[in-house]
Amino acid sequence: MTEQSTPEIELSAAQSAEFWTGKRKQRFWRAIQAILILIAAFIMLIPIIWIFLAAFKSHVEVYQLRLFFTPTFENFGTVFEDPYDLGSKLFNSTIVAFVTVIIAIPIATMAAYSFSRFTLKFETTILVVILATQFVPAVVIILPFFIMFRDLGLLDTRIGLIMVNLAIVMPFAIWMIKGFIDGIPMDTEEAAMVDGSSRLQVIKNIVLPMAAPGLVTASIFCFILAWNEFLFALFLTNREATTLPIGLALFRGEEGDLWNLLSAAGIIIMLPMFVLALAIRKYFVQGMTMGAVR
Amino acid sequence: MAEIRLNNLTKRWGDFVGVDDQSLHIQDEEFLVLLGPSGCGKTTTMRMIAGLEDPTAGEIWIGDRMVNDDLPKDRDVAMVFQNYGLYPHMTIFDNIAYPLKVRGTPKADIKPRVEKAAEQVELTEFLHRKPKALSGGQRQRVALARAIVRTPKVFLMDEPLSNLDAKLRVTMRAELKHLSRQLQITTVYVTHDQIEAMTLADRVAVMRHGVIQQLGTPDNIYNDPANMFVAGFIGSPAMNLINGSVQSGMFVTTGGTRLVGIGGQDRAKAVLGVRADDMEVHGAGQGDIDVSIYAFENTGESTLLTVQWGKQRVIARGDRHLRKEQGETVGIKLNPDHLYLFDPDNGDRIRLGDK
Repeated sequence: MTEQSTPEIELSAAQSAEFWTGKRKQRFWRAIQAILILIAAFIMLIPIIWIFLAAFKSHVEVYQLRLFFTPTFENFGTVFEDPYDLGSKLFNSTIVAFVTVIIAIPIATMAAYSFSRFTLKFETTILVVILATQFVPAVVIILPFFIMFRDLGLLDTRIGLIMVNLAIVMPFAIWMIKGFIDGIPMDTEEAAMVDGSSRLQVIKNIVLPMAAPGLVTASIFCFILAWNEFLFALFLTNREATTLPIGLALFRGEEGDLWNLLSAAGIIIMLPMFVLALAIRKYFVQGMTMGAVR
Repeated sequence: MAEIRLNNLTKRWGDFVGVDDQSLHIQDEEFLVLLGPSGCGKTTTMRMIAGLEDPTAGEIWIGDRMVNDDLPKDRDVAMVFQNYGLYPHMTIFDNIAYPLKVRGTPKADIKPRVEKAAEQVELTEFLHRKPKALSGGQRQRVALARAIVRTPKVFLMDEPLSNLDAKLRVTMRAELKHLSRQLQITTVYVTHDQIEAMTLADRVAVMRHGVIQQLGTPDNIYNDPANMFVAGFIGSPAMNLINGSVQSGMFVTTGGTRLVGIGGQDRAKAVLGVRADDMEVHGAGQGDIDVSIYAFENTGESTLLTVQWGKQRVIARGDRHLRKEQGETVGIKLNPDHLYLFDPDNGDRIRLGDK
């Protein structure tokens, strides 16, 4: 290969004379773009910034919009103490979200693989119905759920919540993972089959590793859904199995909204999200784009 | 090492017929090329041999076993895919080793065999890399190495060179030919490229609309096409097909020009086939017919003259030193030993007696 030098782009006299043309103009608009993005990001972050500040303020300071104050960690202690007892709710949330993901992802993967690779009877119909379950407003089905769970003795249990969360999470997981498996070239799987693998070996050795970014993405997505789920937890739990989002409601007392405690609890809810997002950022982006563009 | 027998093989999807009741006997150690335009059923035929597609009817025999109900993994074939079908999450070593690993080859055996296969395709220095880090030609070699690392009964190759650039394709073609002579394993090779078919094959099966049009050696297919389709498909440039009729032993073009003596009985309609190489270019008035040049192309190793022949255009090949201008008149002389006559209605060849 011979090296080729790029010919220099010569500007015509008219072009170089005029300042606001070509590359300069492009650069100017890029700068404007960046500034606008920063402003938009700031506006979106204001509530979160406010919560962060409030969490470290005392009850009195909360209503003062001061940026500089002596931070206190007292709130984080108080929320775990007796009337609020966030610890048990944190425990419940963790169990419910993790078990939901652990059950949902393998099942969703199997379903997604079947939808992606086999011709099933009424395939499109089934897929649409799966998605359609999500079109039903939760409020509509909460009463039947309540009565059913009462009769089965599942009210206020973590198992009950996990079942509800599975119902919420599965359709999304199936559709998401199906997208990723669709993106794996059929050639690769067929090569593995001709090379001597059974269908299960193909899934284990080829499909799962290749779909890994997608599985991670789907897992996080499901975890977030289950972790933040509020409505069902509100109606179906009472004392024993309450989760963090329900715990937040405890901070509305007779003395009004306890914003400092609310904020501290809010941060505790958000923290796992941040940690997760940071840890798997690479996969997440890869997963998002892979699913999108095949 | 095995022969392949296809008995009345048919593949249908609803009303669409992919492969139409075809039988084919591929000899042991033979290199058979399935050639045809896209959608002719050649890839479907191969995929049925591999077990990736179930035949609608008919039998597939590999060696002395009917494999219709065998899974791909139990057929003991190795396949090279058009898009290579490499495993992107594994290193080249693991890619090549996969067929051995998954068939439970002892660990100690795997390493030397992978290294030998890699050496045969000149990949030794890339074994630790991932497919992503290789060029198209190198990926193609990985796919080849993965096929030859075992000694399967049959090699199946599905347009393995079509994703490579023109230059690399020529190199890889030669490497493939070398390798196949060395390994002597029954090979079925699918392509739409007639040059690949001509150069690689022991025998070529030309397919169209799910039907094998002609089965024969490359020589046979090139010099003795069974019908108009095969004649037009093989050769570059394609064989010229000239409409006309046969009158008292002479071929007369639709324009009324008495062209060349071919003998045989009179026919109201006939198509004369003649290859570009069998048309000699002379000065005006010195050939069988004078024609004007529509386009003159110099390809380096020869020249191509597209000439206006009544309403049709015909391509003749000239000497590489020949220089002509567009619009010039030249005389064309047809080589009477290599003329073909076809029936325009069904495309069948009309044999010209003992000529």
